[in-house]
Amino acid sequence: MRFHSVAVEERGEVGRYTVLRYRWPGPVEPGQFVMARAAGYPVTLDPFLARPFSFYDHDGEVASLLFVVRGRGTALLDRADRIDVSAPLGRGFRVEPSRERAVLLGGGVGIAPLKILGRRLGELGVPHDVFLGFADAPIAAAASDFLGAGVATIDGSVGTHGTVLDAVPDLDSYGAVYACGPNPMLAAVKHAAGGLLCQLSVEERMGCGNGSCNGCAVPVRGGYVRSCVEGPVFPAEALAW
Amino acid sequence: MELCGIPLQTPLIPASGTLAKEALGEVEGVYGAMLPKTTTPAPRVGNPPPRVAETPAGMVNSIGLQNPGVERFIEDLDAFGLGITLFVSAAGDTVEEFGALCELLGADERISAIELNLSCPNVELGGLTFCARPASVEEVVANCRRTTSKPIFAKLTFEGVVENARAAEAAGADALTVMNTIPALTVDAHSRSVLVRGGLSGPAIKPVALRAVYEVSRAVGVPVIGSGGVTCGLDVAEFMLAGSTVVQVGTASFVRDPKQILEEFAAYLKREGLAAAELTGGLLHK
Repeated sequence: MRFHSVAVEERGEVGRYTVLRYRWPGPVEPGQFVMARAAGYPVTLDPFLARPFSFYDHDGEVASLLFVVRGRGTALLDRADRIDVSAPLGRGFRVEPSRERAVLLGGGVGIAPLKILGRRLGELGVPHDVFLGFADAPIAAAASDFLGAGVATIDGSVGTHGTVLDAVPDLDSYGAVYACGPNPMLAAVKHAAGGLLCQLSVEERMGCGNGSCNGCAVPVRGGYVRSCVEGPVFPAEALAW
Repeated sequence: MELCGIPLQTPLIPASGTLAKEALGEVEGVYGAMLPKTTTPAPRVGNPPPRVAETPAGMVNSIGLQNPGVERFIEDLDAFGLGITLFVSAAGDTVEEFGALCELLGADERISAIELNLSCPNVELGGLTFCARPASVEEVVANCRRTTSKPIFAKLTFEGVVENARAAEAAGADALTVMNTIPALTVDAHSRSVLVRGGLSGPAIKPVALRAVYEVSRAVGVPVIGSGGVTCGLDVAEFMLAGSTVVQVGTASFVRDPKQILEEFAAYLKREGLAAAELTGGLLHK
C-alpha cells in the first residue's frame, strides 16, 4: 500500500470525536475511506497496521477524518502533526440527482460519511434529512455539526429515547435511505427500509485496505465479499443480514 | 536473479494471499514474479469474520483459503499476466487433490512454477494435521512431481521444518518456501472471547523465519525462498545471507509501498559494494 505523508492542517473536536483536516486535492467520493495512521514508519511497529476511516468531509481541497480515540492507534493519530494516508479507497454511495427526499441515518462514529454525503446531495439538489443516534448526551454533542439533524440517544438524555430509527417519523415517506453505523444498526435499517432504495456503509476490521488480505469479509448470498474493494457501501439487498 | 532456471527481474515475490489483482497497479516493477492467493479444487467461502487482528509488529489472520476454485482461477489468470513471470499457489485436502491441481496448473503455459501450500494453519482438513509430518510432505510432493515437469516449490510450516524440507527435496521439490505464518491466538479481554485464531505474520516472526531459512538451507541442496516478516531492504539482505535465493514480501506490503523495500535493498548492495548474486543462497554458510 502506498501511503502519503501529509501535515495535519487542523485538529478539531466534534463532541467526543476528533476531526483531522489535511490537504487532499484529488477527487473523493462520499462513502470512500482511507487507511491512515500517525506518520513514523518504521517506528510504529505497535500499532502495526493502518486503520480505515471514512471521509468525514472534502471540499475539493481539504479532506477531514472523524474518529473516536479507542486504542493506541487512534490515540497516536489524535496527537499527530503528520499522518500517513492512502489514496481514497473503496466504493462509496451511488447517488444521482433526484427530487425525491432522501434520509441519512448515522449511528455513533458511523455519522462520519454522512457529512460528505450531505454535501454531495446538496450539490445534486437532492432534498434530504439527517438523523443521528448516539449512546448518550456527551457523544451526541457531535450532532451540532449537522445542521437540523434529528437526534436519538439510547439513554434518552438528548432527543428521542431509543435508536436512530426511533427518531425517524415516517421512513416510508423517503425515496432513498443511506446509513452508516454498527452492523446491528445497519441490519435494523435494512429491515425497516423494506423495498426502499437503501445503501449501507459497513464497519469491518481491515488488514490491508486494497483487497489483498481478504480480512474484511462481509456476508453476502453465497459467501463473503471484501468490504474494502466491493464496499464499504453496499446495496442493502446484497447483504446477507 | 534466477530461481530454478527461471529468470527474475527482482529478488522479491509477493507471498501468496497478500496481493490482490486490484492492487497490481501499485506494484509495477517491484516483483520478479507474481504469486496469487492459493487456489483449491473447489471454491471455498472462507472463515466467518473477524478474520484479522493486529498484534505488536504483526497481525493474525484466519481467512480460510477463501477462493473461487481452480476453474475460475484459471479463467481469471490473465489479470495477473502483465508480461511478468507467474507462479501459482495450490492446496488440496488429499494427496490426490494436490496431484490433480498440479496436473491442471502445470499444463497451463502461462504458469512457470507451482508452490504447494502444505502449511496453511487455517484450514482444519489440510493445514497442519495433514502436512506437518515428513511422510505426508513426501507423499504429496512425490505425487505432484509425477504430474508436471514444471518447478514445484513446497511451502513449509515452522514445525519440523528441517525434516519436512528434507522430505520435500527427496520427493522432487525444486525449491522450498520457508515459511508460512505461525499458529497464533488473539483474545478480546473486553468481550471475553477468542478474537482470531489463525496465523501470525509480520516483523514479529522474522527472527523465527530467519532461523528456519538458515537451518533448512544447510540441510538441503535446493534453493530456499525466504518468507516471514520481511519489511525493509535490510531484511531482504538478511534472508539472503541466511540462505534464501529470493525473498517473499507479504504483510509488510499492507503497511508500506513494497517498492521502497526493493530500493532499500539496492541501496544496501551499493553501500556494501556487493552484487545480489554474492548474497543469495547463504553467504553465512560459506
